[in-house]
Amino acid sequence: MGTINVSKKYTAREKAYIPAILIGMKITMSRFIKGFFLRQHDTILYPEKKRDYSQRFRGMHFISVDANKTENCTACFLCETICPADCIHIVADEREDENNVYGVKKEKKPISFDIDSLRCCFCGFCEEACPKDAIKLSRNYELAVSTREDAIYDLDHLKRDVKGRG
Amino acid sequence: MELFDVAQLMAKIVFVVGLSLGVVPIMVWFERRGAAWMQRRVGPNRVGPFGLLQPLADVVKFIFKEDFTPGNANKFFYYMAPMVALIAPLCAMSVIPFGSTAIVNGHEITLQIATMDSGVIFILAFAGLEVYPIILAGWASKNKYAVLGSLRGASQIVSYEISMGLALLSMLIVYGTFNPHEMVSWQAAKYWGCVVNPFGALVFWISIFAETNRLPFDLPEGESELVAGYHLEYGAMKFALFFMAEYVAMIMASALIATLFFGGYGLLPGMSFLVNFISTNFGFGEVGMQNTKAAFEVLSLISKVAFFMFMFVWIRWTVPRFRFDQLMDLGWKILFPLSLINLVIVTLMVYVLNK
Amino acid sequence: MSNPTVHEIKGTKDDLNYVSAKRPVHSDPSPDAKPLPKVTIDGKTYEFKPGDTIMEVAERYKIHKEIPRYCYHPGLPVAGTCRMCTVEVEKAPKLMTSCSTPAGDGMIVHTSSEKVLKSRNGVQDFLLTNHPLDCPVCDKAGECKLQDYTFQYGPSASNFKEEKRVYDEATTKLLSDKITLNMNRCVHCERCVRFTDDVTKTHDLVMVNRGWHKELEATDPALGLTNNYQGCLTDFCPVGALTMNDFRFKKRAWFLTKKPSVCDRCSKGCNIEVHHDEDVVYRYTPIHNEMVNGHWMCDDGRVSYNDIMNPSRVISPLLNYENALHSTTLETLLGDLKNKIKASGNVQLVVGTDSTREEAALLKDKFSDAVGAKVNVAYFNGTNGVSTSKDDMKMDHLLIMKDKTPNTRGVEDEGLTALAGNEANADIVILFRNGRAGVPKLKSNQKVILWGVWNHDELKALPTTNILGVIPGLATMEKAGSFKNGDGIVQKFHPAINHRGGAVAAHQVVGVLKSLT
Repeated sequence: MGTINVSKKYTAREKAYIPAILIGMKITMSRFIKGFFLRQHDTILYPEKKRDYSQRFRGMHFISVDANKTENCTACFLCETICPADCIHIVADEREDENNVYGVKKEKKPISFDIDSLRCCFCGFCEEACPKDAIKLSRNYELAVSTREDAIYDLDHLKRDVKGRG
Repeated sequence: MELFDVAQLMAKIVFVVGLSLGVVPIMVWFERRGAAWMQRRVGPNRVGPFGLLQPLADVVKFIFKEDFTPGNANKFFYYMAPMVALIAPLCAMSVIPFGSTAIVNGHEITLQIATMDSGVIFILAFAGLEVYPIILAGWASKNKYAVLGSLRGASQIVSYEISMGLALLSMLIVYGTFNPHEMVSWQAAKYWGCVVNPFGALVFWISIFAETNRLPFDLPEGESELVAGYHLEYGAMKFALFFMAEYVAMIMASALIATLFFGGYGLLPGMSFLVNFISTNFGFGEVGMQNTKAAFEVLSLISKVAFFMFMFVWIRWTVPRFRFDQLMDLGWKILFPLSLINLVIVTLMVYVLNK
Repeated sequence: MSNPTVHEIKGTKDDLNYVSAKRPVHSDPSPDAKPLPKVTIDGKTYEFKPGDTIMEVAERYKIHKEIPRYCYHPGLPVAGTCRMCTVEVEKAPKLMTSCSTPAGDGMIVHTSSEKVLKSRNGVQDFLLTNHPLDCPVCDKAGECKLQDYTFQYGPSASNFKEEKRVYDEATTKLLSDKITLNMNRCVHCERCVRFTDDVTKTHDLVMVNRGWHKELEATDPALGLTNNYQGCLTDFCPVGALTMNDFRFKKRAWFLTKKPSVCDRCSKGCNIEVHHDEDVVYRYTPIHNEMVNGHWMCDDGRVSYNDIMNPSRVISPLLNYENALHSTTLETLLGDLKNKIKASGNVQLVVGTDSTREEAALLKDKFSDAVGAKVNVAYFNGTNGVSTSKDDMKMDHLLIMKDKTPNTRGVEDEGLTALAGNEANADIVILFRNGRAGVPKLKSNQKVILWGVWNHDELKALPTTNILGVIPGLATMEKAGSFKNGDGIVQKFHPAINHRGGAVAAHQVVGVLKSLT
């Protein structure tokens, strides 16, 4: 019960306040000199120089394609099922025979595959759930768009050429 | 020679006002880049070389912003506040001497816009006027945050004006005059004011931070608790006027402290040698020598002002903002008694030494 | 109005494959009756009727863990081919198939002993040797027995390293225009073959070749499947070998919400489960009801949800204004129609035999009062040449009836009379139907008011163009009510889905009509 007194007894030097200010000013001045003469800074000058995020970074989605530029996705809806943000919307249909290069494995295809990146929380569950390694998250973090419509990635956008994980 | 008097007066006004306002964009740029350097950042570096044209871009933006007026505002005072904010420190600048005399066409020109014996009182009067734009802006814009900011500003400026006045009073006793010219010549002949009265100089300097609403005493603005304080409802060029007024007030304060405590336009060590050297080598006459001396005096004052401006920036980015009760404690419980005691001591010393 | 026993349609928690055909037995209450034999399953003793198999006893008493099975189906004869239902019987030398072993008095059975589990694990391993594991593509995924049992009993990894068998031609093969066969997924339980042999008796399917090359084939490949119950093949196929084209790739099974209802496609009144997601129906499947439909339902009924989900269905009130139908509010429409009905004085209300008993009673008793004018009410069937329930008859040995509306007998019970001469001639004819009953003969400039489930194609096909207005109504699965089927069984149902358009229930329409002045 009762209160615990956490206040501190200040020494005379601390009470005087001025020495502490002088120490602070010494630090800022040293930084000023380093910045002004030696051009030291921690800022990354963004458009010219980009931050190299780790390999595990989860950015803009894409769907991997095979040699025929056919998407690997078979519209199994596992990503739509697992998605905690409910941002994936798929419409499935039969794949035409000429694209059916792997026989039975690709008899189904998505005729539309929309990801609403404004709802997406980039948890990567879709990537985990995908049995065909079709949907992946690239390392591209430049997701800015001009309109809300642009933020909904359609199948054409998702099938864009991404090297490795971007 | 009526015409000549008017012309030289106009020239001095243009020089002082032009210099004060011209320094503002440079100070804005320096404040932002200086802050960046102190914080391991880069700062604005995109517009022009080293980002020097950034203030220009700011101005363009300010001009083209929507010039709105809050619906409930008291229009007259709402528009008056930023004007007063800029005009008051500019008026105070008029009695700051920026040189002894220059000689043009055989006429002696005093390098001071308004030559008056009661110069320091005039400065005090206009410095006291600085509280008005803050109160007016906060009250006229009918916004509770603005009113809170203006209340803080009013009490802060009034509190610190006392210790500032007392510090000034001690110097008036030392110099025995109100005339800034005579103060400068006293310091040139004997010692700088800060050597004679170091406590007074310190108190005065601290008070000036509070008077100009600079960090660590920028409570009227207080972004974290008051959004933007008294100028919350101001946009576009009206805000720009407040913004400029802050820097003009800083320049005025720096010039004032330089004049009162740091020798004013008195030449910096080594400068008198330079003046002699140039005058003799280039064969200037007595007139030329006087004009050269005046030029160096202006340069001397400008460099002192620049130093204090730098101090403003440096301290701003070092010391965190005070809490309001801490501010009032400092003003009333420390600076006020200190300056009062200092005044008594200085008075006694002057009395004893002059006896 | 008679008060027959009302049977409420109930959804089953269990999969269709688990519903036992027989009811629980109770021992004879008379004191000198011979005691029933007893069998001990997993430590508990159960009574049974002589002749029951172990599986049937276990099913009847719902033992704590079901016995897995592929080939056993309560509606089909026992085959004993899959070996998944084997249980350990004490004193028997080997594991016994519970589906085909009759229970004996004093028999002690273990359904989940270590030996049994090992056997099931082995069976799963063998079944998975050739299964393509294309669950992402397969429509059965989520309701697949092979998936379920693999999770419960199967090996986590296969011992089979060799290449899997692939049927080149039968990978995606149409057995008819309704059914697609994927032979790679088949586990050879032969439920489908037994179904066509013993239930539909059409002998459409047959297994050809043996062992590794065993393959399902239509008996006459040129004809394919010929029976009218092909949808049932997809219901009981434990894997995705037989899938229905109507549902193929439309929706994954786990998204579907299941609600019980009654099929209104004929007077049989099959109990169905409405599978919908966000009130969009994707398919009907039968619910087991021994009195009505057993385990099955016909294909016409199975795809009949398409009529209700038709995009051209009228779901907002339409009012005739300057010879064109315009969407309007219900109050505006009903106010206008009520004035016209009052002014006319010669109005005929034709109630389709697809309306519920409650609707028929409501319209007979309350409608005249609501519009404030005398209205003649009659019922009309108009499907397959049926006019009264006496014309109804069985069309085959299973389920299909001649009367294609669900409630002819129910409407007759309410005291309505059949429309004389199948011809409606009054000043204004109001046609109330649920989308199943036919349209009576009309004059070419007959003024009609349409009420209930209509779509725009039907509006265009009417002999008259003088439509005063369309009052949208709820379809069977969207409303509550009861039907009396051709066999005289009254079945009550509740809304399976919420109607998301502007259609309203009949009693609401009558209420609004009454409130308008």
